[in-house]
Amino acid sequence: MPEAALEYHAPESLDEALELLARCGPRAALLAGGTDVVPALKSGVLGKEHLVSLKRIREFRDIALGERGELRIGAFTPLDEIASSAAVRRHCAALAEAAGRAVSPLLRGRATLGGNLCLDTRCWYFNQSEAWRASRALCLKAGGERCWVNETRNTCVALFCAETPPALMVAGARVDVRGPAGARTIAVDALYSDDGLAPLRREAVEIVTTVVLPQSPPRWGSTYLKLATRDSIDFPLLGVAAGVQLDAEGRIAEARVALTGAKSAPFRLTQFESELRGGAVPDESERGESVARSIGMLYLSDDVPYKRRLAGLLAAEAVRRAAQNAKETA
Amino acid sequence: MKRLIQLHVNGQAHDLVVDPARTLLDVLRDQLGLTGAKRGCGLGACGACTVLLDGRPAAACLTLALEAAGQEIVTIEGLAEGGALHPVQEAFVETGAVQCGFCTPGMVLSAKSLLERCPDPEPEEIRAALAGNVCRCTGYVKIIDAVSLAARRMRGAASGD
Repeated sequence: MPEAALEYHAPESLDEALELLARCGPRAALLAGGTDVVPALKSGVLGKEHLVSLKRIREFRDIALGERGELRIGAFTPLDEIASSAAVRRHCAALAEAAGRAVSPLLRGRATLGGNLCLDTRCWYFNQSEAWRASRALCLKAGGERCWVNETRNTCVALFCAETPPALMVAGARVDVRGPAGARTIAVDALYSDDGLAPLRREAVEIVTTVVLPQSPPRWGSTYLKLATRDSIDFPLLGVAAGVQLDAEGRIAEARVALTGAKSAPFRLTQFESELRGGAVPDESERGESVARSIGMLYLSDDVPYKRRLAGLLAAEAVRRAAQNAKETA
Repeated sequence: MKRLIQLHVNGQAHDLVVDPARTLLDVLRDQLGLTGAKRGCGLGACGACTVLLDGRPAAACLTLALEAAGQEIVTIEGLAEGGALHPVQEAFVETGAVQCGFCTPGMVLSAKSLLERCPDPEPEEIRAALAGNVCRCTGYVKIIDAVSLAARRMRGAASGD
């Protein structure tokens, strides 16, 4: 059911949008492609009084190489353009692959990179219709006093499931953000709080404008692997991005591996990364067992051992494929 | 607060008073009586509500009506010209690619958009283009056959064969 008394704004410029956000503060939601916000609106959990549409702002929709070899992607660029961009694929195959696997083919023409970065967390208890919720107690994320998924812990354990952030993490990307106090830059590694209720460290009055991927080093390759129930239209059960730099002898000089779909934030597998550093590219016998041990508690899923094991297997496979890509681009 | 907007649907302009929370699908079906776009999952997953916005397939159930103002909207009702079915529609009929018909408008519009971008698609490209449109009864083989047939005919018509 539609939320009552919702105000819609369609500013013509970023400055105008920032003024609106400053005025409405946390009562406003930004509307880009709408593929996350509109379902929340329809199921009565958006909890906002104002929608600030970004559709009339013509800037921040380009993909361009910067002066230092960095790739600058406007935050309002649709995912299908990122997936099909030769420049993105050359620069960071993991990002092109993640953008091409996110949401569904039908939605990738509208869903934006900025929207995907700022996706809300999801939970099988929270993401239900208003009718479903009407007959049950509210959970923490819906304004109630308990988490009904993990009652012993009683903090929100909703999962972060967006697919592009792990790819951006392995690329060492940052986001440019504009707010009332001006512009600031946040590393994608530092953008997420791991709090299911408020997964982003972006302030409510700020807008992500540009995603910047630094120039990739020589002999560097990357990939993104997704595990989902249905191939084309599901959020990932798990998504893994890997970025691998090889040295002149073909050993791993540097590796970054990041996971989505496991906690309330995307996160780097730093222990696995340090094990890989300086070693040979792992063969098929590497099953990522240390990943399963290192990723900490997974609170939402009731099939935790299965998901942990898969995280290790996917991470190891992603590293092998990223290393292969690195060899091919050398 | 409700807004007065103009939507361009199937070549016609409609002045409408719309609540900001109403989707394009709500307005098409409930205010304009265009029920070809179907209300399926409501989450953009099934593709039954597919319409074309400026020629590109979009989920009408996840597009706010206010966001569609200024764009050219095509629904399945706008495809036949002068009583003659579009070649994609004809091919769906001839190959038996329709069973209950609930997914068909979305399938046809996604296929039309594909063939405008890519007149000679491989079966794999057809599958990829229709991956956001779910069918629960016919299966996909005849649907892919229908799109291939339509592609051949449209290429033939374009080259004057």
